[in-house]
Order: sequence, then C-alpha cells, then structure tokens
Amino acid sequence: MNKTWIIIKREYLTRVQKKTFIVATLLLPILYVGLIFGMGFIAENSRETLSIAVIDSSGYFSAPILENQNRIDSSSVLTLVNGLSQAELNNKEGGYEGYLIIPALDWKKGLDSLALNTYKSYGRATTAAVEAKINRIWSEVVNDSLQIDLGKQLILTQSRIGIKAKNVIDEKSDSDTAEGIGYVVGLLMYFILLVYGSQVMMGVMEEKTNRIAEVIVSSVRPFQMMLGKIIGIGAVALTQFLLWIAFILVAYNVAKEAGTQMGAAEMVGNMQRLFTKVDVPLILGCFGFYFLAGFFFYASLYGAVGSAVNEDIREAQSLSFPITMLVILSIAMMTASIANPSGPIALWGSLLPFSSPIVMMARIPYGVPGTVPWWQLIASMAILVLSFLAMVWLAGKIYRTGILMYGKKITWGEMLKWIVRKN
Amino acid sequence: MASILSLQHLKKYFESQKAVDDISLSIEEGQIFGLLGPNGAGKTTLIRMITGIFYPDQGDIIFQGKKFDPIRDVGAIGYMPEERGLYKKMKVGEQALYLAQLKGLSHREAKEKIGVWFERFGMESWWNKKVEDLSKGMGQKLQFVTTVLHNPRLIILDEPFSGLDPVNSNLIKDEIYRLAASGATIIFSTHRMEQVEEICDHIALVNRGKKILDGTVAGVKDQFKENLFLIETEGPATLNGTPPFSIVQQTDSKLIIQPTEGQSRNQALRYLLDLQIGIVSFKEILPSLNDIFIKLVEGTPVSRSFETKKDLS
Repeated sequence: MNKTWIIIKREYLTRVQKKTFIVATLLLPILYVGLIFGMGFIAENSRETLSIAVIDSSGYFSAPILENQNRIDSSSVLTLVNGLSQAELNNKEGGYEGYLIIPALDWKKGLDSLALNTYKSYGRATTAAVEAKINRIWSEVVNDSLQIDLGKQLILTQSRIGIKAKNVIDEKSDSDTAEGIGYVVGLLMYFILLVYGSQVMMGVMEEKTNRIAEVIVSSVRPFQMMLGKIIGIGAVALTQFLLWIAFILVAYNVAKEAGTQMGAAEMVGNMQRLFTKVDVPLILGCFGFYFLAGFFFYASLYGAVGSAVNEDIREAQSLSFPITMLVILSIAMMTASIANPSGPIALWGSLLPFSSPIVMMARIPYGVPGTVPWWQLIASMAILVLSFLAMVWLAGKIYRTGILMYGKKITWGEMLKWIVRKN
Repeated sequence: MASILSLQHLKKYFESQKAVDDISLSIEEGQIFGLLGPNGAGKTTLIRMITGIFYPDQGDIIFQGKKFDPIRDVGAIGYMPEERGLYKKMKVGEQALYLAQLKGLSHREAKEKIGVWFERFGMESWWNKKVEDLSKGMGQKLQFVTTVLHNPRLIILDEPFSGLDPVNSNLIKDEIYRLAASGATIIFSTHRMEQVEEICDHIALVNRGKKILDGTVAGVKDQFKENLFLIETEGPATLNGTPPFSIVQQTDSKLIIQPTEGQSRNQALRYLLDLQIGIVSFKEILPSLNDIFIKLVEGTPVSRSFETKKDLS
C-alpha cells in the first residue's frame, strides 16, 4: 500500500505541476464562458436588417402603417413601392434586399403563407423580423375589423392557461431547471470520463514506450502500478473540478458584492433561485460519487487497453473504440432519460454500470425520491461499486501481461484470454 | 560460501511453449554469474521469476536461505532489464529518488545514497536535467545507478553494456567488480560471449527452456577442450618417423597438434626435442566460450521469439 502511495504521489504531482494543467484549469472556464457569450454575440451580429419593398394589393398595408411599424421596430424596414414593375423588382440594385407581393386579402380568411422574395439567402433569425412585423400589422387589421379594442385584447392574451409540471412528492423538483441541470451535469460527466480515461491510457502507453514498465514491476506489483496511476489521475481530475467549483463560488460572491451593477444581480438571483429549486448538496454529493466510481470503471478499461497496445496511437484508438462507444451510447440514453426521467431507458440506463454515471446524474436533478426512488439510487450505486471493483481486478490481469508485451498487435479476444490465464 | 539464490526445478509454461522447463541452479554469494543463451532461450522468463515479476508454475526459489517472497525481497534485488528506460519528462534527481523509494528506501536515505553515487559517476550537475536531455550513454549510467542505488544483495543485469561506449562500458565493468568484491552477487545475462569470458566466474547456458551447461568458466572450457596444443618453433619444423600426435594445422613456424590416443603432451614435446627442433612456446588451445556456445546451440532453432511471443525472449 505504501508503494502504491508513492506512485499516486508521482502521478499526481507530475501532472498538477505541469504548465498545461494550470493553463487548462484557468482557460477552460474562460473558454466555456467565452463560447457562450461568443455564440450569443455572433448570433446577434449575424442578424441583418432587411430592407424590403412591399407591393400591396390588399390595401391593408398602407405607407403610414408601414412607417409607423418601422418606427416601433427597426429590425427590418418595409417600404411601400406600389409603382414598381416586375422587372424593377427583380433588379437587385434597387436598394432593397427583397420584396413582398401581398395579394388582395379577405381579413376573415387571412393568408396561409406569403413569399419573401430575396436576392440572397437569409437565416431564420433575419427573416423572423419581417414575419413578426407583417403579423403585427395583420393582427391590428383583424382586431380593428372585429372591433376589438385594447381592453379586449388584454383579456384575450390573458385567456391562455399554461400547464406547469409539479411533483407533489418532491417539492424541489422543477422539470425545467432539472432538465437544464441534467444536461449540464451529464455532459460534464461525459467529458470527465472521456478526457481523464484517455489520460490513463496515454500514461500507461508512455510507460510502455519509455520501456520503464519492467523496471517498475521489478519493484512493485503491476496491480499497484495500475492502481496508483488510476488513483493519481483521478485525484488530478478531482482537483481540477474542485478548483472550478471554487471559481464559481468566488465569481458568485464577487457578483453578490458588486450588487445591482452590470446585470450581476440577475445572475445572483438566478443562482439563488437555483438553490431553492433543486437539491444542490444532493446533486454535488452524487456527482462526487458517480464521478469517482465512473472514473474508476472507465479508467481501468482504458488502462487495460493502454497496456495492450504498442507505441502506435492508431492501434490505441481502434482498441479503445468500443469503450468510447459505451460512453457515447450513455449520452444517447441520457437524452432519452431527460425526455422521460421515469421511463424504462432511464431506469436501465441508471442501473447499468457503464451508463449509470451519466444517466443517473442527469436524472437526479429531477429529484430524489420523487423521480428517482431511493432503491434505484442505492441499487445503481451498489452495482457501480461492485462493477468498478470487478473491472479494476480484471484490468489488472490484462495489465500484468500487456505491460511486458512488445511488438505484437493485440485484439480484445486476446485480452480476454489473458484474464483467464494463470499468473 | 553460502548460496544466495537457489532455483529448484523451476518451470514456467506458456500456452504456446515451455519457456522455462525444469531449471535448477545455485548461485553463491559474491559470484559474478553469467546467464547465457540465444534469443528466446528462456533467460528473460527465468529472470522475471527471480525478480518476482512472474510466479513459477512449479519449483521453488530459495533466496538468502528462505523461500523467495517478492514483496519482502524486492528491496534486496536490483534488476536492470534488457527493455529498459526512464520517464523522459522527469528530472534526473527526482527519477532516481522515485525509483529508490519504490525499492523501499526512505526519502532521506535515498537522497543520501543518490548523492554518493552521483558523485562517484560525476553526475552531480545532472540533478535538474530532464532525462530526455541526456545522451544515450548518460541515460544508461543513470539507469545503472538506479539499479544498484538501494544496495541490493543480488544484482541482475540483462545486457548491461548495450548502448554504452567503451569508456562508459569500462566504468560499469569496474563497478560490477567493485560491487562483487563488496559482497553483492551479480547475475549477468547476455549473449556477448567475450564479455562473459572477461567478467564472469561462473556460467550457465540455457537453451529452449533447459539448462544445458553449468560450471566455472575454466571448468567449462576444460570440459570442452579438444586436447589441442599450439607449438611455436624456430623456423619450419621437419618431422619424420611416426610422431605421437596428429598434425591439425602447420604453418611456417606454428604447429597445432593433437596427441594420439594414449600419448601425453609430454611425449609429444619429447619427440620434438629429440628432433632438435627449437621450441619457442608450447600452449594448450582452449575453446572460447563463443565456440562452445555455438557448438551447443547450433542446429536448434535459435530464435524462438520470432515464431511465438516476444515477451519470452
């Protein structure tokens, strides 16, 4: 045990002291936030203001009405051009991006659709502005024709009744929030399992490539060597994760201090609402558990693969492909489970050890025991613990043989044979 | 002297072959023992059992008078495998510290011993260098230091001179002598016969999983000598009558003879003296280990490793 500890220490320290670790830890949240804002920014800027010529045969879209609407909403400009000929309309040098031809209309029937003729292709975000404007005008037309005044309009808009899902067993489960958190947590788990799992594989491969494996196994058991590496890298992942939580807490408190400025209040408010809507300590606790147990499960598989391959990275990729498929399959099951968190896929996904870290974590925000009964949570955890213990043990057997084997291409079938082979 | 390591009917079978097939050996304390054999003979498998990497299928390993227990005894063994290397990105000093600690040394002890060895090999300035920045020879020196750092009683070196220039080879060779003189036992595995002849007291030859020869270097040579003598004469020797020997080869002033059945070398010498032939030198021709090796191994499939698994070489 003492020697395993020395190995854990080395695996941990060499990784944490690396510049890449520090850079990745600092940069990833920045990148993540940057990505979200960047995408919003790009979406905002890619929306163009269309200037559209309107030829109206209905008489409802008069020049004053259009001008009035253009004043209210500048995200598109509509101009009445009844005098233009078809040839002039098709001339794209005319100063407009496109044109609408509104036929003679009966206000009672309306119009199924209207062609927006443009000289270039535009995205939905751009054309929606035109659509909204046309519909606003049309609503007014209809309202006027029906003699619905503002007071009546208000009554009409209030007549809608929304349905809001509420779990009576678990007050805290709120399906909208749960869905969001479920996705975030499930994807985070996916990311951790893949990234750190393959780090274990690369680490084992490095030992083989550097030819240090046999030097080490003459001092410690191969099993200790493998376990030390898995625990060491797991600790690195945990450190990184805790640092990120610390970042969030610091950012939260800074935002709180900053008070009402710069929309920070909104963020603080959102976070406070989050804390009341879902069981944050339970989610964090379960995340810690599934994170470690799931990591052990996948890391031992990746470690076994790493021990079996030679220097060739392509060989490693093809051999680790089935493992990666398991993780991707889990993500597919997660999506189905979020759509129906009490369904059969959700149940099986949270019991099967390869998918439970992702699927169960996506379901837990829906509430325990409301959506996830206690027996399911406990069974899922117990199965995962037993499975990862079995997996570490089996991987150890593959590792022991693989780490000393050079120059031969190994298949999964061969690796399974090593498991049953005696020492 | 007491035997430090004794192997009794050791067997290790893999699915495709008998890697080690009933080998018994005894190695005495302070000996430099040469373990010889062609590629794929089973040397590495044998060594891996002695270092606790593999468990034997059958047979016992007695180390320092007790049944070998890998977990207890690894600290007393230093092993430099043929497939060896170090963590490339790690600093030299940290690397040595790490490997010494894995052998069971405390941090303080390890640091002390590293200091002594680095000084002896003129490596003090390397401490903060990364292993990848060392030359191949420097890397091998570091590898040797990490093998013997924890003061092992049994040192196993698998092809220790590969990748070393003559200067560093000599440095390591001197260390091997010094370590043996200070009481450590050295098992030296190689197929470079001239090194064995030079360094080892005792050898064992393994082929196809079996021990086919075992003894002191002088004893083995004696066993395989062909009763040949080299005689240097003053000028060409003209022989007449029936000499008590057959001539194997004759050049200007050199004569290789083999005494006929029932005749001794003294009779051969007397015959030459009676002919008034001036004798400059008279010497028995002993076979080199290389000749013996080739003679014994020839005709058997030399490299089984190509047919089957590479880890058994």
